[in-house]
Amino acid sequence: MNTNSNSYVMVFAVAVCVIISTMLAVLANSLRSTQDAAKEFDRQKNVMLAAGLIERGDLRPRAELEKLYQDRVTEQLVDTETGEVVDPAKVEAKGKRYRSVATTKSADGKLEAIVLPVSGKGLWSTLYAYLALEPDANTVRGITFYEHGETPGLGGEVENAAWTATWKGKTIFDADHKLVSITLKKGKVDPAIEREKKHMVDGLSGATLTCKGVTNFLLSDLQAFQTYLGRMAKQN
Amino acid sequence: MTATATPKTKPLFGADEKKAILDPLWDNNPIALQVLGICSALAVTTKLDAALVMGAGVTAVTAASNVIISLIRNLIPSKIRIIVQLVVVSGAVIAVDQVLRAYMFDLSKQLSVFIGLIITNCIVMGRLEAYAMQNPPGRSLLDGIGNGLGYAWILAVVGAIREIFGSGKLLGMQVVPQGLYEAGYVNNGLMVLAPGAFILLGVIVWVQRAISGYVEK
Repeated sequence: MNTNSNSYVMVFAVAVCVIISTMLAVLANSLRSTQDAAKEFDRQKNVMLAAGLIERGDLRPRAELEKLYQDRVTEQLVDTETGEVVDPAKVEAKGKRYRSVATTKSADGKLEAIVLPVSGKGLWSTLYAYLALEPDANTVRGITFYEHGETPGLGGEVENAAWTATWKGKTIFDADHKLVSITLKKGKVDPAIEREKKHMVDGLSGATLTCKGVTNFLLSDLQAFQTYLGRMAKQN
Repeated sequence: MTATATPKTKPLFGADEKKAILDPLWDNNPIALQVLGICSALAVTTKLDAALVMGAGVTAVTAASNVIISLIRNLIPSKIRIIVQLVVVSGAVIAVDQVLRAYMFDLSKQLSVFIGLIITNCIVMGRLEAYAMQNPPGRSLLDGIGNGLGYAWILAVVGAIREIFGSGKLLGMQVVPQGLYEAGYVNNGLMVLAPGAFILLGVIVWVQRAISGYVEK
């Protein structure tokens, strides 16, 4: 057989592509449910990470962490316009108005953290993060970016634990109870300036656009949660 | 991740088969001798667990694609052989990526783009072109495993050294005692950065070549 004739080459190329893609499709489909479960577990872990329930690199087995999540974390659907918790069964379309918020409680049942999902565009991709606030609904307790497609080493440094640790203790409302959110400053925060010390964190070098994106979506998402946060602050 | 037990059950396990699997581990190591696959060896070796998974991934990909290419080697038109090899390699890499996502989500997030980049690892394509295109599937499988492991053990050594000296841990567990830190010991920051890996890899290549007596022609 002449393996170099044009028709043979065409048929062979098509056959190889079809066979390989079929095999991959079968594999991807059969792994889908396991992958989704792994992703969901990763999301739960990040809620607990932001709230400070677990530490990064926790070596405890999966079942134990899942139990911890069940015991200490409550996820609720919040109507961002009224700030009320609503029953998910009664809401038809989730959309932007209704968002899921997690709250965690300490071992003795007291509210420990309010974990807000925030997300938005960076440079290349949508970043997904959890911002955890103290029960005062103002002080940052922690933040984790759990899904993004930014450049590793530059924008990807949003995952850097040393950097996310600097968010702790910042506040999102100023002294007049006006929402100012948290800004990623280009360069380093000057601790001598009160406003910077309270509401800004160091920007990531080499990732100006990612930082701008994070600043923007953080502000707009916090604005959406403002009513809810006001209600929580009054309650606690 | 060092030398594997040679499959003795094979009835026709002769000198060629032995050479195919053992040569790449030491005498013809893909990293130390042929200096292939350096990019990923520098990028994914800050921690031992990532290095091990990457080594296993490359071993699986070289072994699988070597066997597939060897099986169809007489059917591949020589005009499009490189692109056919690439299709097979990409398929194997995507399969590895999907499996990691299902069963080792954390590590797959950590390795992110580097799993996909196995496609461009010169070791894989090099073995297909140099070995699998001329040899039967059985021997190609051994050659693929051998080269994958030859790559993996160097990655594991670099990863272990970098994790111990760079973060004082091994597989995420503290190995440098707290007392040492209190006595003034600090982790070596260079080790977690790319230049540290470069220097370390250079030293390993040097030591390996000094022992194996390899001379550049």
